[in-house]
Parts: sequence; C-alpha cells; structure tokens
Amino acid sequence: MGSRKIRSKILSHLLLLPFLLFAVFPFYHMTLTSLKQDRELYDRHAVPLLITQGPTLEHYQKLLWDTPFLTWTKNSLLVTFLATAVSLVIGTIAAYALARLKFFAVASFGTGIFVTYLVPTSLLFLPLAQVVNWLGLGDSKWALVVTYPTFLVPFCTWLLMGYFRTVPKEVEECAMVDGATRVQALLRIVLPIAVPGLVCAALFAFTLSWNEFIYALTFTSTSDQITASVGITSELIRGDIYFWGPLMAGAVLGSVPIVILYVFFLDYYVSGLTAGAVK
Amino acid sequence: MAIGNVGVVPAASRASLRDRMWGLFDRERFLGPLFVTPALILITLLVAYPFCMALYFSLSNAFIGRPSHLVGLRNFVNLWDSDAFRQTFQNAFVFTGAAVAIKLVCGISLALLLNQQLWFKRLIRGAVLLPWVIPTALSTLGWTWMFNSLYSVVNWTGIALGVMDPPGPNWLGQKYYAMTAVVAVNVWRGLPFFAITILAGLVSIPKELYEAAEADGAGPVARFWYVTLPLLRPVLAIVMLFSTIFTFSDFNIVYVLTHGGPINSTHLFATLSRQIGLESGRIGEGAAISLYLFPVLAFVVYAQLKFVRKEV
Amino acid sequence: MRHVSRRQFLASSATGLAGILATKTPPALGQQREISYLCWNNFAPLMDKKLAEIAVRFTKDTGIKVRIDHINAEQQPAKYASEVQTQAGHDLVEMRMHFPWLYEPQLLDVGDLVADLEKKYGKVISSAEETARVKGTWRAVPQYHAMFVATYREDLFKKAGLKIPDTWEDLYVAGKELKKMGNPVGIPINQNLDSISTAGPVLWSLGGMEVDKDGKTVRINSPATEQMVEWYKKLYRDCMEAEVLSWTNASNNESIQQGKAGWIHNPISAYIIAKQKKLPTADTINHHRTPGGPNGRHETDVPRHIGIWKFSKNVEPAKEFIRYHLGRPEIYNEYITSADAFNLPVFEKLQEHPVLKTDAKYAALKAEGVQYHCYGWPAPPSDKVQLITNSFILPIMLAKAVTGTSTKEAVAWADKEMKKIMAG
Repeated sequence: MGSRKIRSKILSHLLLLPFLLFAVFPFYHMTLTSLKQDRELYDRHAVPLLITQGPTLEHYQKLLWDTPFLTWTKNSLLVTFLATAVSLVIGTIAAYALARLKFFAVASFGTGIFVTYLVPTSLLFLPLAQVVNWLGLGDSKWALVVTYPTFLVPFCTWLLMGYFRTVPKEVEECAMVDGATRVQALLRIVLPIAVPGLVCAALFAFTLSWNEFIYALTFTSTSDQITASVGITSELIRGDIYFWGPLMAGAVLGSVPIVILYVFFLDYYVSGLTAGAVK
Repeated sequence: MAIGNVGVVPAASRASLRDRMWGLFDRERFLGPLFVTPALILITLLVAYPFCMALYFSLSNAFIGRPSHLVGLRNFVNLWDSDAFRQTFQNAFVFTGAAVAIKLVCGISLALLLNQQLWFKRLIRGAVLLPWVIPTALSTLGWTWMFNSLYSVVNWTGIALGVMDPPGPNWLGQKYYAMTAVVAVNVWRGLPFFAITILAGLVSIPKELYEAAEADGAGPVARFWYVTLPLLRPVLAIVMLFSTIFTFSDFNIVYVLTHGGPINSTHLFATLSRQIGLESGRIGEGAAISLYLFPVLAFVVYAQLKFVRKEV
Repeated sequence: MRHVSRRQFLASSATGLAGILATKTPPALGQQREISYLCWNNFAPLMDKKLAEIAVRFTKDTGIKVRIDHINAEQQPAKYASEVQTQAGHDLVEMRMHFPWLYEPQLLDVGDLVADLEKKYGKVISSAEETARVKGTWRAVPQYHAMFVATYREDLFKKAGLKIPDTWEDLYVAGKELKKMGNPVGIPINQNLDSISTAGPVLWSLGGMEVDKDGKTVRINSPATEQMVEWYKKLYRDCMEAEVLSWTNASNNESIQQGKAGWIHNPISAYIIAKQKKLPTADTINHHRTPGGPNGRHETDVPRHIGIWKFSKNVEPAKEFIRYHLGRPEIYNEYITSADAFNLPVFEKLQEHPVLKTDAKYAALKAEGVQYHCYGWPAPPSDKVQLITNSFILPIMLAKAVTGTSTKEAVAWADKEMKKIMAG
C-alpha cells in the first residue's frame, strides 16, 4: 500500500512536469537573456539555452543606473499598494452589505458588478481621461490610485461577498446581542475570520494593479511619475531598436516584488478562493 | 456572561445624539446602501459615465480633436463591410474559443494534480502562478524574443530535439502558426488563474463524497465525472465567465507579437480598434469595434449568473 | 468604517491635488513661466540628453522652465488622443511625419516660426513640407528627418564580386547570389511600417502610386503595381527567406547586425547600434545610394516636427523655445551633431552638414538624385490616406502575393480595400 502511494505520488509529479516547464521556461529564458553579454545575445549561432561566454551584470547595471528604474518601481509600488488598499476597503464594505444586509437592489447590484468588466479599458481610457482631468488629477500617479479601483473593486466585492456568506450569521448575531453595533461586529468579529478572503482579494488586486498598462500610460507623463512597465517599454524600445538585455532585466526585476508577495501569502490565496469562489 | 443585560437597557436613558447616530448604523436599511455607496460612486463616475461616452463615440462620427455628431448605428453596419473587421470577428471567436477551451481542460488537470499530496507543494504552486504574476507588457516581450525568427529558442529546441526540420516553423509569419502562437501565450498567461481557482473549488469538496462513491464501486474516472465535475460547476462557470471576457478583450499579446498580422489573421477587437481608432483618428469607428460584442457578452454574463444562482 | 473609507478616498485625492499644486510652478508668481514638451524616446539617446541640456540653457537664458517628457513612438497615438480629448497636457508636442494632418484642428498655426527658420536656413525640404504644412498652413515646425537608405554587407559583396545595386533589378541579381551564400536579402513583408518603407520606393520608382495627387483617386490598380508585385514575388522566392513574413521593425536591423542578412533597407540605426555594441559585423556594414527604377530614385523619409497644441496656455514661451532650440544656428547644429547622423537637418542650406563627414559610411546619406517622400505620396496625407497606410494594405497585398495569391487578385484586393477607405 505504501509503495502504491509513492508510485502515484511520483506519477503526479511526472505529470506536473510539462506544466511546470511550460510555466517556468519563459522566465528561465528571460533571466538568461538578461545575464548574457551582448556579443552572445546577438550571435545567431549561440546556444540559446545556456550562457557560454560568461554572464554579465551590465544589463542590470544599465537598467538600474542609467534609467530611472528605481523611481518607476517606487511609483508602481506606491500606486499598487494604495489602489489595493482603497479597493479592499470599498470592496469589503460593499461585499458585507451585499452578503449580509437586506435592502433594495441587492441582487441587481451583484449582477451589475460583472457588467463593469465587459467594457475594455482600451476603450474606456479616453473618456476616462476627461473625468480624471476634471477631477484635477491629470498627469499624476494619483490618477491611477483613483482609477485602478474601477476594475479592482468588482472582483474584490464578488470574492468577499462569497467569503462573507460562509461566515456563520450566528457569530455576528451573538456579538450584537452582546451590545456591539453592526459596524463593531464587522470590525471585530467578521473581518478577523475573513482574513484569508481579504488576503486573497488583496493579492488579486495587487497583481492586476501591478500589471496594468494603458491607464498608467495615459494618466502619467513625467518620468518621475510613470510606473515600471510603462517606463521599461518606453525607455528601452527606441524606434526600431529593442535593447533586449536590459528589457529582460526589467522584466525579471519587475516581477520580483509580486513573486515575493505570493510566496509568502500563497496559502491564504488558495484558501481565500476556496470559500469565496465556490459560493 | 451577562449576555442580555447590556442591550436591554432602555435606549431613552442613554439617548445622546451620538448614540442615536450610531443607532442609525444598526439599521440595515440605512447601513446597507451606505456601505455600497462608495463602490457605487466609483463605478458611476469612473465606469458608467465614461462608458456612456464611449457609447456615444460608437454612435457618432467622432474623430480625434474634431467636433462630432450622432450618426446612429452607421459605424456598426459599415464595419461589417470591412474585410479586416470580418476577419477580426472570426479571429476573436477562434482565439477565445481555443484559448478558453485549452485553459479549461489544462486547468482542471493541473488543479487535480496540485490537489495531490506533493513534495515542495509551495514551490510548485508558486511556480505555476508565475505567468499570472508577471506584468503582461513585459512577459509578452519575453515571448516575442522567444519567437524571434532569428534567435527563436522555440525552434532551436525543436530542431535540437529532432521534432522540427530547420529552420522550424515561421511562428509569427504564417497564418495558422501565428494564431497558435498567440493562443499559446494567452494560455500560458491565463492557465494559473484557472488552475488555482479550480483548485480552490476542489479543496472544498468534502472527502466523504469521494469515499462514499468509492464504497459504491466507482473508479477514479467515474468519481471525477459524477462527484468532482458537478460540484465544480459553479467554480467552472465563474472562471470561464471571467476568462472569456478577458480573453475576448485581449490586446497586449497580439499587439506586441504580431500587430494583428500576418494578413490580419490575428487581429482582435482591441487591436483593430486601436489601429482604426487611435492611430488613424477615427474614434467613433474604434469605439464601435470595441463595443461590437457588448450585447452578446452582456447576455452571456446574465445567463451565466442566472445559471450559477440557480445551482447555489 | 465608512467614514474612514470615504476619508481615505478623499484624502488620497486631496493629497494628490496638493501634490500637483506643489510641483507645478504657480504661473503668476513672479516671472517664473513653465512649458512642457512631449517627445519620443529618440533612437539616438544622446540627442535626448542634448535636448535636456539645451532646455537647461534655455531656462538660464530666458527664465522659462522647460519640462521634457518622453514616450515610446508606439505610445504616442494613445497619449496624444487623450491630451486632445481632455484639452490639457503638454504645450509642445512632437509630430512625427504626417501627424500634423491628423491633429490639424488642434495645432497652432506656426507659419511665423517656419518663415523665420526658412530665412536663416533655406527652404524646408519637400518631404517635411508635405507633412507639416496642412492645406497651406504650417501646423508644426520641421526639425529633423531620418531617411531610409540601402544598407549592405560590403565584405560579402566584395568577396562575391557583386556589383552594388543601382536599380531594384540589380538588387534582385545580387540578392540571388547573396541567398546562395547564406546571407539573404532582408525586406520585411508584414504589418509594420518598415514594410511600407520599402514597398513605397519600389512602387514609386516604377511610376506607380496608391492614391493620386488629387488625394481622391485610387491608382493602385496599374501595370506599375503589377510589376512591383512580380518583383517582390521573385525577390521573395530567390533572394529572401520565409521569415520576413514575421519580421517586426527591429528584425531587419537584428538580422544584419548578427551577420545573417546581406542587404537591408533601413535608416542607419542598424549600423550605429552595431558600432555602439562593438559587434563583429560593425566593420562590414556600409550604405549605398537608394536603388532606382524607370521612374527615378525615390526613398522613404521620416521627418519629425514640433507642434504647439491650441489649448496650450503658454504659447509665447513655447514659441520662444522653438526659436531658441531650432532658430539659433549654433544650438541647432549641436543638436543635429549629437545624433550621429541618424537625424539630419530639414532645411536646404544645411544639407551638407558636417556630421555627415564624421564617418565615411554616412556618405550615402548625401546621395545625388534621390527624392524623399513620406507614406502615401503623392497624395497629401489626409486622414483617409493615413488610414490606408495604417491598415497596411500595401504589405498585406504583397504578403498575399508572395504566399500564393495571383498578382491580379492581390492587386484587385488592394484596389478594392483602398477604394472602400477613400469612399467612406
């Protein structure tokens, strides 16, 4: 019996291998490219899977010292954290209301959430630019903090709605009988239980914000305001020249913050989806 | 355990304005709308209003920087005459259909595998999530480099393994290969979302059901078909819904890899809209292209949600 | 809870507003004026550095602060569209090629500035005038241009004893040998601008055109076009490899830089980067005069201009900047020189610029008898003509032809598509 278990375990791992290769190989290639010398990079007879002429950190150096990459990353982090925080707050209270409280239009609001995703950002950005400008936020990263929640809040709300529904009503009712207000019950009882859901929503929001491109391009111009992806593609693709080395270095460094986050919070992410997604 | 006492104290004896205000917050009818208001303001100001403007664009002859007036459904009708648009229409369905189908099948398989007792569980799950996590603008550049006709690592590997004849397929230069390439990149990027979400759904299926099925003599395939799949349906529906919407409106992959080519064979609504709208100034037509599928998608969303609601 | 969230929301926008007000110099405070300039990330980074330097000197000399922002050329349409839509953004903006026609109602009439420059430097060259002067009014000030030129592997030609192509037919002859040597010709046939940049000159040299001078009549269905298609077919078959169907704007550069292509058609960026990166091919790359045909020698040009948005609130300071930056010969010269001959002056009297002598390989840029045009010539680059360009009808027609469609069918398809666009 033990050996059958081991065999099926090994089988599972073997079957996982193609998926893992598929997922990870591009990163391997990008990292490799970022460490190759230009000579080898532009040598069409070189083996693409290995570094044979010695690695180099010059692309990273070019990226970090010759471009405002650190400023861009700082902007990305700032915008992403703030947008995530704002979306979480708005999403949490909206989700609580939709999951727990009875008032008119609950059902239609729930459905309405999805409709906001049907309008692609590549279309919305132009009229949205007018609204942003009217708010006085044109051309700054605060515009992003205000506009990112538009595509973060719906999913967060939906996810947390599902999560709150799994928190037994009795727990809150107990607290309210004890004299707590609804708000206090929310803060002190429900939220602590819902932490996995919150973490999951936060991670999802963080990823989408970090990834976002078109709003970042439209609403920021100055090089000290732009975010990482915009900066990297802008600075390292000039006319018909792609600076592949630093570009890939940028891609690698641009993923680092998120990868770190996910490694730490992965279990929360999965368990957060568990309750939220199923209901 | 003084449970009931505190709350039973008559309100009148503690009636201060502040308390009455806080009392308000206990009324569901007040609290509910209040809690929903920030989200509502956000969506109204920053989504609904721009959407209405975008709708106006599509129904007008809007051109960058020039006055416009309504022309009704003319844009939508004229688009159908365009070779490029008809091709785009077809491409969008092929792209989305293929990508979502592959992601579904692979996602379920991957989720099933990840649900096993694994060594290095965290590491493996992390590795699987990587494509989802990296900024799309940059990962697509990575793929462009991988498909580069001169240095293509894909072809090099294929030739080295003997499965391709040199110089290997012209990935981004031939009609069907190009579509395959962009679908592959979309699957690469979207698979983690499917896998992890379905995994979450799998985890919540009670083990007793499997044990009961096994006791009834069901083999692994039957267990999957009669226990797993039905219970996964709500999750699958939601995941497919999100994925279909995001895949239909995909922009970056096609734009960076093929610019819509070769011979318009990979153009999607978003990329064609950009070509005609932003680059050539005709934002009316561009908006019409982007919104062409809106009624269909809206209906699909509505139908799916009704279906999911019924199940739960 | 709700209070906190609302407050948080308002606070972040309030801080944002405060932040903006703090960074933007209040206009009425003393004489501190500020203008902003949005331009592309120049292929020659040193030119961007020089621009920043010039801006600093300008501020010292006039007290007007200049903020310069850069974006990728591909990101320009989205950014410009949003600035036009919101009627807010930068004051000065870079207008590439035919953009002045696209954004015409939003651009200020800068005829006075151009008149000044023409007095100093001579007339503006034709390709720049065709694109910056919209229906008689100058909507942008031409500043420089980068033209396409034939780039080839000198060593390979010498080794095989090949004659340097003087006509496109010569190219075919040489190309056959090059392909046999494993160094095929590299002309992209894909949905990008480089593809149009070669198709245009070939078509023009045969006397053909897409749309006529009147800007209305589609003339693609002609014997000249059929000749061009036939030429491309045989070139693709005998001198190139299938990969050109997947090429991007960068691919031909990369191909010649790492030793594969024997002949490409590109601005001198390929050579400059090879030099900068000290690639082994740098020494072997050289340029020659654009090949010609029965109807003369025609070449694609990429002029760039500076425009001023009508909604700008700093028109006078912006004009002053242009007068300083382009109008002062020593500054303009410095600016051009910093580009290592990639961007050259657009005025008649400055065509023999010293920067061309800094490297013997730039000689071909000063070639005799070559006429420079932008996409869509001879039709004025109206919106419809630009749409024809942006829809890549010419390269798609060629891609169809070289992959099996008959010449007649391919040309008929292009004709139909162009007529559709011109009609509505």
